[in-house]
Amino acid sequence: MVAFEKQNGGEIGDETAQTLTAQAKVYAARMRLQESLDQADALEAIREIAANLMGSEEIAVYKLDKEKGALWLYWSFGIDPNKYAVLDVFKEPLVENALEGKILFKNQTAADRLLAGTDRVNALVPIRIEGTVVGLIVIFRVLPQKATLDAADREICQVLSNCAGRAIEPHRA
Amino acid sequence: MAKKVLLVDDSTTTLMMEEMILKQRTKYETVTAKDGLDAIARAVEQNPDLVLMDVVMPRMNGFEACKRMRSQESLRNTPIILVTTRGEEEYVEAGYQSGCNDYITKPINSRELVTLLQSYLGE
Repeated sequence: MVAFEKQNGGEIGDETAQTLTAQAKVYAARMRLQESLDQADALEAIREIAANLMGSEEIAVYKLDKEKGALWLYWSFGIDPNKYAVLDVFKEPLVENALEGKILFKNQTAADRLLAGTDRVNALVPIRIEGTVVGLIVIFRVLPQKATLDAADREICQVLSNCAGRAIEPHRA
Repeated sequence: MAKKVLLVDDSTTTLMMEEMILKQRTKYETVTAKDGLDAIARAVEQNPDLVLMDVVMPRMNGFEACKRMRSQESLRNTPIILVTTRGEEEYVEAGYQSGCNDYITKPINSRELVTLLQSYLGE
């Protein structure tokens, strides 16, 4: 367990508060994923992390089919699964970038949208197992009380990328 | 003696995060429950100084659990703060109708949470 410096009472600045929030969220995300019992629990962990820590109730997990150059919808929450059943990698240049291992966030790329067919996507998070990308998590809209994904969320996405492999390939992760 | 906070949520992730924040920033003791029914039992058993409770939970939601806690003599005046993803007026109103004292929306911010709890419990 990581030891955290205790800040006992007193006012703290915004930056310190944000750092503490991020630490707590990243810790919770990592522990939840590492302690997930099986594939179903890992998927539930992803949903909990997205909804409760990041503020998104619209999320999809895709499994990569390298031969066909496609990402098949493996599991989703809060979106129409028929609408997003498959992502054609050859038609989605930013998805191709993500499959090289890069986490992509809305408003941090030159493009105005992360997926061609919708402007609802806030992040593309490659799922890696031992360095190999095996799938993709797509974070769609965030809750109305939250403008966009912030620095803490970006750290959480890093944890998802490194630790969510069991959700797709439980025997390898 | 340290103030005791009952944290109620069906999400293990949220409970971990809330415990971590309160451990980092306060001297409050924490106990946890996983749903509304469990929360009522734990509250009667532990007599917390404050209850921080999610709304959407299996078996019994936060609104119902709040109403039932208010019917218990020992919990009638215990501050209850509901945690919701919905900040809309009707949802907030439902929370107050159930007897809660305050609410906070997810995703939780450390500073906002601690400030809110300290306003009821002190430092």
